Amino acid sequence: MTLDSPSTVSTTSRRGTATAATRVLGALTIVMIGWLGVFGLLLSPADRDQGDAVRIMYVHVPSVWLAYLAFIVTALASAVHLFGKSHSLQADRVAGASAEIGVVFMAVTLVTGMLWGRITWGVYWQWDARLTTTALLFISYIGYLAVRGLEGSRSQRARRSAIVGLLAVLEVPLVHWSVKLWRSLHQEATVLGTDLDVSLDGLMLFSLFVGVVAFTLLFLWLLLHRSRVLMMIDLSAETGLDAALAQRRAEGGVTP
Amino acid sequence: MSTPDLTPRPEQSPKRQRRRIMPMVVLALVVVAGGVVITQALSTAVDYYCNVDEVGKRSGCDTGRRLRIQGTVAEGTVVVATGATLFDIRFNGASMRVEYAGEPGGIFKECLPVVVHGVFDESSGMFLGDRVEVKHSEDYVAVNDDRLEEAEADSAACDSSA
Repeated sequence: MTLDSPSTVSTTSRRGTATAATRVLGALTIVMIGWLGVFGLLLSPADRDQGDAVRIMYVHVPSVWLAYLAFIVTALASAVHLFGKSHSLQADRVAGASAEIGVVFMAVTLVTGMLWGRITWGVYWQWDARLTTTALLFISYIGYLAVRGLEGSRSQRARRSAIVGLLAVLEVPLVHWSVKLWRSLHQEATVLGTDLDVSLDGLMLFSLFVGVVAFTLLFLWLLLHRSRVLMMIDLSAETGLDAALAQRRAEGGVTP
Repeated sequence: MSTPDLTPRPEQSPKRQRRRIMPMVVLALVVVAGGVVITQALSTAVDYYCNVDEVGKRSGCDTGRRLRIQGTVAEGTVVVATGATLFDIRFNGASMRVEYAGEPGGIFKECLPVVVHGVFDESSGMFLGDRVEVKHSEDYVAVNDDRLEEAEADSAACDSSA
């Protein structure tokens, strides 16, 4: 097993996983999340029918956007690993890191959706098309993460999970279009609908935009750090074996 | 120099085994959870989803079976009686009287689309609902003075084709 760029790892391992670029990105993310709080809680108006419950939208929609983005990045990185000449393990690490982030934010989407549903629909959950396909998507990616941890060599596990990552992403368009394909309690798309007609108050739309930008920056920040952590884990496994052999030789009085 | 002891050490297996068994357990749980989700979705789908104007006309929307009916709560029809709420739902010009045993939750009010679960009662001509869900549309309108009049006008129109 070889790592793609051990020099990068040794550099980051001395300083943690942060670089100047990720620090700037992190600061930007915090600023944008602060703006999201201001717009979402203070500046944007309440909805005519839903009242203040509409503010859940500023977390719910960016969360599901982030989860979709994460699963698409997982698929792209899986394709790079599977079909690239070098079968890059760095691509595999990006795929794994992105899926982990996607699962977390899909959970956020489900929880905020249930709370929003209880307030507006009157029920936490309904087995309709959108909710059921979303639950299946969430479960599929937990399965993907489990596949990554199965027995096998590093390259075997990477190849196996890349195939699952490419198959699981096919559920994303199914979830998005489920409200069109079947009758659903869940509303149809307000922004990314087929008619491109945005039926959203101006300040609500801007708050939603701030949320999407903030969550996208958060995704990039988390992805960079988590990919580097996974690289360090791989490096630790590789150098750990060398260190163990050296220790054993030393115990036995054998000089390398 | 002493002879190096290079015989294999006893395998330190417990931690390693735990690490590899966990993914198998998670995968098994994923399969079970997926099965439960699909089963639940299919069993709920037994309650056929119909619009008011399709009841008794569209295949699957027969009055003798359990249904989910979608329509907009008609203006001026909501009556709260002891332990029950009565209201009309309309869709595409068709109307149906609903009796719901309880007080609907969510943001239930006139002119909003709802989905009512229940059965049609031939003797009273009413749909007896045991579950009401409010179906919010994809339109979001701010509550403020400038647009209140416009919003009220929209609401008064009580579009029943939602």
